[in-house]
Amino acid sequence: MVMRNTTHRWGAVAQLLHWLIVVLIIVQVTLAALAGDLPLGMKKLAMLARHKSVGLTILGLAMVRLGWRQLNPTPALPQTLKPYERTLARFTHAMLYVLLFAMPLSGWMMSSARGFPVSWFGFFQLPDLVPKSQPLYHALVTTHQSLAVLLGAVVTLHVAAALKHHYVLRDDVLQRMLPLSTTTQGTRR
Amino acid sequence: MRPAGHALLTAILLATAAGAASAPAVTHYVLDAPKSSLEFTFQQAGAQNKGKFTRFAVSFDFSPDNLAASRLDVTVEIGSLDTGDQERDDTLHGADLFAVAKFPQAHFAASQFNKTAGGYEAIGKLTIRGVTRDTRVPFTFRTADEHGVAVGYMSGKTTVRRLDFGVGQGEWKATDQVGNEVGVSFALRLTPTATAH
Repeated sequence: MVMRNTTHRWGAVAQLLHWLIVVLIIVQVTLAALAGDLPLGMKKLAMLARHKSVGLTILGLAMVRLGWRQLNPTPALPQTLKPYERTLARFTHAMLYVLLFAMPLSGWMMSSARGFPVSWFGFFQLPDLVPKSQPLYHALVTTHQSLAVLLGAVVTLHVAAALKHHYVLRDDVLQRMLPLSTTTQGTRR
Repeated sequence: MRPAGHALLTAILLATAAGAASAPAVTHYVLDAPKSSLEFTFQQAGAQNKGKFTRFAVSFDFSPDNLAASRLDVTVEIGSLDTGDQERDDTLHGADLFAVAKFPQAHFAASQFNKTAGGYEAIGKLTIRGVTRDTRVPFTFRTADEHGVAVGYMSGKTTVRRLDFGVGQGEWKATDQVGNEVGVSFALRLTPTATAH
């Protein structure tokens, strides 16, 4: 397994970052859904604390990922794609990156606006991004929730496209992001 | 008794009497509430959070030169706590935390004072949620002449362990999300009213 990307395949580091973030986003959605139904109590505090810590982790990983992307070749899209498909693919990927930053940042701002400072797993406390403000807090709750819905939509598109590449177009777009796959380039007929 | 011994005893008695007579009177101070603050800090979900009490009363009889006659009495309206979040304040008022309905006030009364390196120390009894514990509160005190009035400024901070007073029943006994140690700090402006005695 190669650490770095090639023009045909994602390397181990990019794959690890991709799948780690996938798992953490699933954790985030679960924690948010569970905490949302609870009254203010120890359980809710614990879940939201974890939600914030995991969110900050995703923010950190997103920065590493973007940096790693700059230092590595990006595997090319298959030649068979139509121009609008290329545009859509670029747009979807750009949106995913934007949301990997926007989700945690809006959540962090939300906590600051409410006056609940954020800590990373209790190891250190982060500065408040915005001053405490009730109207701002409500606006940020709406923002954070809307971005979550948008992320859900973009992820759905992303997964649908990956499955289409794998099962319909039968190319290696999905496989080159899978760790144990041996396909190195082109189609897999 | 030899004359020398007699003279010495007389001197001691006279000095003691003089000392008692010249013990400076303590000044009675009352709180200038708008210019005073009583705040607390606590760990919530690993981060430091802040709150304050907006209603509290202070009665302070004090003289740096007569600590023996000095007295401090502080009553805090727990219902006035403000952490900047209504839901959190309501939770703190609840039966498992401050139980404000049953214990509306916290009280600190001190009648023993020590001079310390940095200022003074009040030793007294702190009552929160019906539980009374001996508590030492370090503080500094200075007076400033403001239009001919010797206004007192008292400030300090101490740490209170909330579970010592039962502030945290049921699930709130756990300290992983809400820390046991609560920092309490105060900065009081005290105006003299009369000389107590």
